[in-house]
Amino acid sequence: MEILKLENIGYRYKDAPKDKYVFKNINYEFEQGKMYAIKGKSGSGKTTLLSLITGLEKCTEGKILYDNQDLKKMNLDKYRNTDIGIVFQSYNLLPSFTAIENIILSMDVSNVKIKNKKQKVLELMKSVGLSEEHANRKILKLSGGEQQRIAIARSLSYNPKIIIADEPTGNLDKETEAEILKIFEHLAKDENKCIIIVTHSQKVCDAADYVYELVNNEK
Amino acid sequence: MYILKNSLISITRNKGRNILIGIIILVIAASSTITLAIRNTANKLVKDYQESNDIIGTISFNRQQLSGKFQKGEDAKKSNIEAFNQIEQLTLENIKNYGESEYLKSYYYIFSTSLNSDTLTKATDSFENQIENEGENKGENKGENKERDKELFQNDRNLTGDFELNGYSSYDAMTDFVSGAYKVTEGEMITDFNNFECVINSELATLNEISVGDTITLKNPNTEKTYDFIVKGIYKDDSNPDDSVNMYSQSVNKIITGSNVIETIIEDDNTLVTNITPSFILQSEDVIEAFTEELKEKGLNEYYTLNTNLDELENATQSIENVKTFATTFLIITLIIASIVLFVINMINIRERKYEIGVFRTIGVSKFKLTMQFVLELLIVSIIMLCIGCIGGAFLSKPIGNQLLKNEIEASETADKEISNNFGRGGEKMGGPMETRGISKVQQIDSMEAVVDIHVIVQLLGIGILLTIVSSLASMISIQRFSPLTILKERS
Repeated sequence: MEILKLENIGYRYKDAPKDKYVFKNINYEFEQGKMYAIKGKSGSGKTTLLSLITGLEKCTEGKILYDNQDLKKMNLDKYRNTDIGIVFQSYNLLPSFTAIENIILSMDVSNVKIKNKKQKVLELMKSVGLSEEHANRKILKLSGGEQQRIAIARSLSYNPKIIIADEPTGNLDKETEAEILKIFEHLAKDENKCIIIVTHSQKVCDAADYVYELVNNEK
Repeated sequence: MYILKNSLISITRNKGRNILIGIIILVIAASSTITLAIRNTANKLVKDYQESNDIIGTISFNRQQLSGKFQKGEDAKKSNIEAFNQIEQLTLENIKNYGESEYLKSYYYIFSTSLNSDTLTKATDSFENQIENEGENKGENKGENKERDKELFQNDRNLTGDFELNGYSSYDAMTDFVSGAYKVTEGEMITDFNNFECVINSELATLNEISVGDTITLKNPNTEKTYDFIVKGIYKDDSNPDDSVNMYSQSVNKIITGSNVIETIIEDDNTLVTNITPSFILQSEDVIEAFTEELKEKGLNEYYTLNTNLDELENATQSIENVKTFATTFLIITLIIASIVLFVINMINIRERKYEIGVFRTIGVSKFKLTMQFVLELLIVSIIMLCIGCIGGAFLSKPIGNQLLKNEIEASETADKEISNNFGRGGEKMGGPMETRGISKVQQIDSMEAVVDIHVIVQLLGIGILLTIVSSLASMISIQRFSPLTILKERS
């Protein structure tokens, strides 16, 4: 049973001519426990598609169903802080906060009700390969790989059903890329998450259960 | 709750930015506290002053109006005199009638006449009179000297006796005692306004060796009828302590008694020259016109006018009103400039924090909560700085308030002095606001205890919240307008 369904999705920029779509008639389905890769050339609309799935943008045509509910009718803030986790290529963590504060912030925003949040965060960090000593470091004192692990831990902190990642290994070396991919595979297989990764990387595509390819309709 | 937590983290982690904002708010808070304290204290002083100083009206003869209607030419002299004589004097009945007005809080009057005495020596500055008095004491030309005294020392009210007998209708009428110009130094003030009791000047008492409890005898100069007064008290005249010209004070021959006593004396002889000085205590400034109309309706002659001490009351509070105006203007300018500066700083601040806004939005923080967080950050900084500014302002408001008032009074006095110089009177003061003009003495407010009270704190808090909201408008608008995706793309 799909957790996320894209039905005849089309998108064009507001100032673009009426027949100029970034993409059109996209029909994808995503299930829990599977890892999906969305690939495409630069400018094919991968990040745009991701912004539609995360509710940061609204599609011009078609509809996106999360758990059979139309995203347009949902509270998108709640959708983003409860149902999906987002991991960005540039991590998008708050630099003035420490690693643990970034993750606890996400839990607070999601209104996670657990007594010892700090303990939970340390467990999460351990699950993505980070030790306790990373917890109280400011974000800018961490390496790229460590920041990406913090971003993944943050996206997991409120236990969403879907993790959406935009080029999560784009800024990382090969060794770290492999480690991050292992985390995603583990989340899909063992934690029953639906992992959607927008990527250029063939390695990611190879690791995915399903690969969707976007073709730019503008050309 | 996490909004507050995030705000606190953000404040402590961005010290430079918040210290800058804090310094600006501190300056605003201190200057606002000072100006608010000065303004509120000035308001309170003026209000208290107005409440403690009644608007008093008195009726006076308008000579200018009469002389304007005089006919010209030698032949007109008789008709002008007749016109003047036809103007009726104010009577006690008139005053009592006017006093029955809804526009008045109360009224009082001084009913005066003058009597002679065979047993009392009149105090006078005249050397000639003293020699004559010596002669009189020796029993020489007694009657002749008396008549001469009268000619030489008629007072300005044309009362013809040696001793001016002032009958007061109530204690309120005794304004010289209320103001402290006269002070009972021995015995006490008269207690019964109907009895033949009196209070006399200390100089007259010394001259005639009179003590409290003695009886003095006064005589009607027309009928020779005598009246015995028990001396209840002796008063000292301190109205002009620097007078180095006259030997005696102006009130030396003034004897104080009740107005009903004068009425009794007048009943015996209505040809005695009397003088009545009424004072009407008006309900408020707004009723002056209506009361004037009522006086006309009740038959007050057109040549009489109602004068009030309103100008003097206003003059007395003028300096403090000027300080208040200055403080208010300063406050408004400070707030306008501060709002603009804070708004601009916030605009810059928000542009720097666009990335942060993008991150918060992508992790699902609503626009409302995000706005609240930014406003809360500024509010926390504002409240801390308002408290510090309020304490600093509380210490500074009193000396600054007094300095401003002092400068204002000095400026006013310098202006008076310059006018006085133009009249060739050197530094001598002209008829300035503080001088008595026949109604009541008005004391200018010359110091202020600018206090930071609960009103100031509430107003300051209001200003703080207002400033926070105004300067947060930048963040509110930006958060509504920014697209998180665009922000994050720019960052990438």
